[in-house]
Amino acid sequence: MPEKNNEMIGTEQLEAKLAAMRAAQREFGKYSQEQVDKIFQAAAMAANKARIPLARMAVEETGMGVMEDKVIKNHYAAEYIYNAYRRTKTCGVIEEDTAFGIKKVAEPIGLVAAVIPTTNPTSTAIFKTLICLKTRNAIIISPHPRAKKSTIAAAQIVYEAAVAAGAPKDIIGWIEEPSLELTNMVMKEADIILATGGPGMVRAAYSSGKPALGVGAGNVPVIIDSSADIKLAVNSIIHSKTFDNGMICASEQSVTVLEDIYDEVRDEFERRGCYFLKGEEIEKVGSTVIINGGVNAKIVGQSAYTIAKLAGVKVPEKTKILIGEVKSTDISEPFAHEKLSPVLAMYKAADFEDALQKSEQLLMDGGPGHTASLFIDTSEKEKMAEHAHRMHACRIVINTPSSHGGIGDLYNFKLTPSLTLGCGSWGGNSVSHNVGAFDLLNIKTVAERRENMLWLRLPEKVYFKRGCMSVALDELGTVMHKRKAFIVTDQFLYHNGYVRPIEDKLNEMNIQYSCFWDVAPDPTLQCALEGVKQIRSFEPDVIIALGGGSAMDAAKIMWVLYEHPDASFEDMAMDFMDIRKRVYTYPEMGKKAYFVAIPTSSGTGSEVTPFAIITDAETGTKWPLADYELMPDMAIVDVDNMMNQPKGLTSASGIDVMTHALEAYVSVMASDMTDGIALKATKLVFDNLPEAYELGAKAPRAREHMAMASTLAGEAFANAFLGLNHSMAHKLGAYHHIPHGVANALILTYVMRYNASETPTKMGTFPQYEYPHTLQRYCDVARYNGLSGKDDKKTFDLLIDKVEELKKTIGIPASIRDFGVKEEDFLATLDEMTENAFNDQCTGANPRYPLMSEIKQLYLLAYYGKPTKEAEKI
Amino acid sequence: MSERIIIEQTAYKTVYREGSRIVKEFTASHPMSLVLNEAYIHACVEDAGVPVPKLLGVMLSENGGWSIAMEYVSGKTLSELMDENPDNADEYLEKLVNIQLDTGRYRVPHLRNTRQKMIDAIQTLTEIDASTRYELLQRVHSMAPHTKLCHGDLVPSNIVIHEDGSWCILDWAHASSGNAGADAAITYLHYSLERPELADKYLHLFCKKADMAIQYVQTWMPVVAAQQLTKHKESERELLEKWISVAEYQ
Repeated sequence: MPEKNNEMIGTEQLEAKLAAMRAAQREFGKYSQEQVDKIFQAAAMAANKARIPLARMAVEETGMGVMEDKVIKNHYAAEYIYNAYRRTKTCGVIEEDTAFGIKKVAEPIGLVAAVIPTTNPTSTAIFKTLICLKTRNAIIISPHPRAKKSTIAAAQIVYEAAVAAGAPKDIIGWIEEPSLELTNMVMKEADIILATGGPGMVRAAYSSGKPALGVGAGNVPVIIDSSADIKLAVNSIIHSKTFDNGMICASEQSVTVLEDIYDEVRDEFERRGCYFLKGEEIEKVGSTVIINGGVNAKIVGQSAYTIAKLAGVKVPEKTKILIGEVKSTDISEPFAHEKLSPVLAMYKAADFEDALQKSEQLLMDGGPGHTASLFIDTSEKEKMAEHAHRMHACRIVINTPSSHGGIGDLYNFKLTPSLTLGCGSWGGNSVSHNVGAFDLLNIKTVAERRENMLWLRLPEKVYFKRGCMSVALDELGTVMHKRKAFIVTDQFLYHNGYVRPIEDKLNEMNIQYSCFWDVAPDPTLQCALEGVKQIRSFEPDVIIALGGGSAMDAAKIMWVLYEHPDASFEDMAMDFMDIRKRVYTYPEMGKKAYFVAIPTSSGTGSEVTPFAIITDAETGTKWPLADYELMPDMAIVDVDNMMNQPKGLTSASGIDVMTHALEAYVSVMASDMTDGIALKATKLVFDNLPEAYELGAKAPRAREHMAMASTLAGEAFANAFLGLNHSMAHKLGAYHHIPHGVANALILTYVMRYNASETPTKMGTFPQYEYPHTLQRYCDVARYNGLSGKDDKKTFDLLIDKVEELKKTIGIPASIRDFGVKEEDFLATLDEMTENAFNDQCTGANPRYPLMSEIKQLYLLAYYGKPTKEAEKI
Repeated sequence: MSERIIIEQTAYKTVYREGSRIVKEFTASHPMSLVLNEAYIHACVEDAGVPVPKLLGVMLSENGGWSIAMEYVSGKTLSELMDENPDNADEYLEKLVNIQLDTGRYRVPHLRNTRQKMIDAIQTLTEIDASTRYELLQRVHSMAPHTKLCHGDLVPSNIVIHEDGSWCILDWAHASSGNAGADAAITYLHYSLERPELADKYLHLFCKKADMAIQYVQTWMPVVAAQQLTKHKESERELLEKWISVAEYQ
C-alpha cells in the first residue's frame, strides 16, 4: 500500500526536520535583542513586499475571498504586527526593579506548532512567523491542505528574509504534504500550539497534551440601538461584512435593529447595494448556505451574487450582502449561524432588552466568547454597560466594523493587533485576549531577598518626669482648646483621690468633665459598654485614661465604640501574620476624641502601645486587639501617680516589664530602633526593681526608673512585638488565675533557654531574621548589664542566673506548682492551654517557631520547677 | 431436510430459510475475514444479551464460500409493519427510536470503535479530494470517544417485531462500540435517502428522547455520508456529496 509508505516517509522526514528546528532554536535562544530586532524587521519587510503576490496566490489556491482584501490582511500582518512589537523587549531582562529586587527575564518557549486556517492562509502565516521570530522561537507550520501552497509561500518568504538577516537555518519549518497524522505529530512534539482554525482543530490542539493557544469560531451579533448613527452603523457593517467576502471570524453574522429605526436601517442597507431576500428566497439561500447545521463549503468566501446564483435566486451582480429578515434566533434557523460569507441575518427588536436577549442567544449558540458589536450613541452609558455585561464575548466593539475592529489597532489603538483572537472559557479556549508575542514567552521572575520595611510608631506625645502631669494636661486647654474630658479609671484610684489633680486641672482650664470609675481588673466588654453609654451622652472631645493596664485598655475599647459604634470585635480581634497585611482594616480613630493615657503602675506600657485586651463576660471570649489606630495620642508618665503601688503589683508588673524588654529584644522584628530602648529597659529593671519592691514610695528614684523602664519596654514591644513567653503566659494566667506579670515570670527562664537554641526545630519566618541567633541576642542583654562569661554559653547562664535572682528577690514563686496550681487542674488543662498558646497572636514574632509538643514540655518544666537547663534539650 | 426458501439474494450472498434456520450463504469470492467478522460481532452482541436471533453456526458451504446460520425468528419487520399500516407511522417511529436507545445501553467492548471505523472508511474513499478527507478526519478525531453499542445500520427492515410485541435486531455486520450520535446520523441518512418525509421527524424524536443536541448528530452527518459513499450507489451520490461538503471555520 503505497499511501502507508508515504505516511511513514513523511513521519521520518518530519522527525528529522523537528530535530533540526530544535537545534536551530537553541542557537536562536542565544541571540541578543538587537539581533532579534534586526531579523524581525527584515522578515516584516519581506512579507510586506510580497503582500500582493501572496494575496493573489491565496485566492487562486483556495477559490475563496477577495484578493484586494487579502492584500490588506497581509499588509496588516506585516506592518501592524511589526509596529506593535518593534520596541518591545522580548529577550533576556525585560523588566527590572532594583529597589524591590525583582527582575523579569523573557525566554523563548522553544518549538511552536502553528495551525493556519484556509480563510487567512497567508496573513496568519505572516503573523505567526513574525511573533515567533520576535520571541526567539522556532515555528513549524501545519498548513491546511486546501491552502498549503500559499501558506508555505508566505512562511518561506519570512523564513528566507530572517535567515538572510542572520537567523539560524531551520528556524521556520512547515509540513509539505499536510495530513492529519503529521499535524497531530507536530502538535504532540511541539512545546506549545498556536491553533487558529475550526473547532475540530482547536479541540485536537487542546487534547494533544501540550499547552495550546487555541481560538475558536465566532458568530458576531450586532445591535443597532435607536440612538445609533444609522449611516455609520449600516455602512460599517457593509464594509466589514463584505471584507474578504465575510470570511473573517469577527465578521458580523446578524444585525438586530430596534423597531423604531428598523425601516430606516433597512432603507440604508438597500440604498448601499444590499439585497433583502423575499419570500421563499430566504429559505432557498438558507438551505444553500447551511447544510445539516454546517456551512456549505462551496459558499465560503464567495460573493453575494455567486451564492444567490447557487441558491437559484436572481440578484444584481454587484449585490454586496444577502440579507434574510428572520425571526428565530434558534440554531435551527440557518441565518442564525456563522455563515462565512456575505450573508446576513436581520432581526427586529421590540426594545433594547429584546435585542440583548437575541444577541445573547446568537452569541452563545454560535460563537461563545468571540466578539459582539453594538452601534449606539456613546452617551447611553447604561445601555452600553448592560450590553458589555450581558455579552459573553471577549471583544465588544462599539460603533466599529467588527472584522476590522476585532483584530485590533485599526479602529481602536489599545486593542492588541492580532490574527488569533482568544474566546476565553466560553469558547473553550485558554486565552481571552488577542494573542500576541507575550503569549510565546516563558517569563522568569528573579526575586532577590529583601527585608521588610520596619517602623517606629509611638504616641504623638510622650511626656515624662515626676510631677509633669499638670503641665502636660495644660496643653489640652491652652493648645488644643478641648472642652469636654471623659475620665476612665478604677474604683481604688477614684476613691483614693488620684483623679482629683486631674479634675482640678480641668476645672482650672474650664474643661467640663465626666468620670467613669468602675473599671475592674481584666476589664469586660460589659463594663466598657456601660462606659460607652456615659461617653455617648457626654460627647467628650478628649478621653483621659488613668490607671494600670485594665483602665487604659477599657478606655481604649470605649474610645473605639464611641468613635465607631458598629465596630465588630470579632473582626478586630482576627489574628494576623503581618499587621500591615491583615484582612481587616481598622476604623480611623481620633475623629471625635483625643486620647490621653496616664499610667499608675509600672507595668503594661499600655500608654504607648497599640494593644488592648477585652473579655466578653457572657461568652468568656477574650478579644486581643492590636492596631496602631489604638495608639494613645498622648502618654503622661508621672511617677507621682505610681508611688504607692502595693508590693505585689510592683513585683508582678515589674517582672512584666522585664519580659516585655527581653521578648522585644529577641523578637524577629527587633530593630536598631527598638534594641536600644529594650536594652535600657532591662538595665533599669535589674537595677531598680528590687529597691522599688522593697522600699516602695521610700525609693522615689527607683520608682521613677521603673516608670521609665515600663514605658520604654512598652515602646519597644509596641514596634518589635513579643513572643512565645507572652503567648504561654496569656493562657496560663487565664486558665489558672495567675496575675499576668507572675505568669510571665514563672516561665520566663525556660522560654529563654528554649529560644536560645542554636539548632531550633524551626526558626521564625521574617526576612531580616537570617539564622537562629537568639543566644547572641541574650548575650547582648547580659553584657549590657555587665555580665560576661568566658563564652556565650556562660554569659547566657549568667543572665539566666540574674533573672532567677531577680525573681526570687521580688517574691516570685519557684514554679507554677508553688504558686498554688493543683497538679490535676494543671494537667487537665495542659493540652488546651498548649494549643491556645500556640495560636496566640504573640507567637508569630518569636525567634523560634514552636511545635505544640515543645510548648507542652515547657509548661511541664515550669510547672514542676525543673532546672531551666532542661529546656535546652527541647 | 427442510426446503430452502430464498429470502434475499445479492451479488455476494444468498439468504435462505431452511426450517427453523436462516442461513446467510456468501459467495466463494467474498472475503472469509468479513464473514467470520460478521459472525464474531453477532456472537459478541448475543453474548451481551441484546435480543438477536441465536447464532447456530459458521461453516463452509458447498459453493466454497462461508455461511452463517442463525435461528429463524417469527414476526414482521418494522418496515413491513410501516408499509402495512401507514397511519401508524408515528408509533413505529417511536418504536424505532426506543429500540435504538435501548441498544445504546449495551456495552460490547470487543467491537471496533465507531470513530476508528469511520476513519478507516474515509481513508479508503477516492471519490473525494484529500483536503475534504483531511477535514472529515479532523472532524472524527475531534469527537469524544464513547462506548455505546451502535448497530451501524439500524433501519426498520433490520428490526423484527414478534407477535407478542417483543423485538430482535438483525444484521450486525456494521456494528461498533461508540457514539449514538453517529448511529442516529446513519438512520437519519437512511430516511433522507428512502423516506425523506420522515427524516426530520425521526431526528427530532431521537434527539428529544436521547436528550441529545441536534447539532451533535449533525456533526456526524458529513462523516456518515462519507462512509455511505463507500457503497458507491450512484443514486445516492448527489445527496451524499452535498452532505459531505460542509465547512467548519478553518
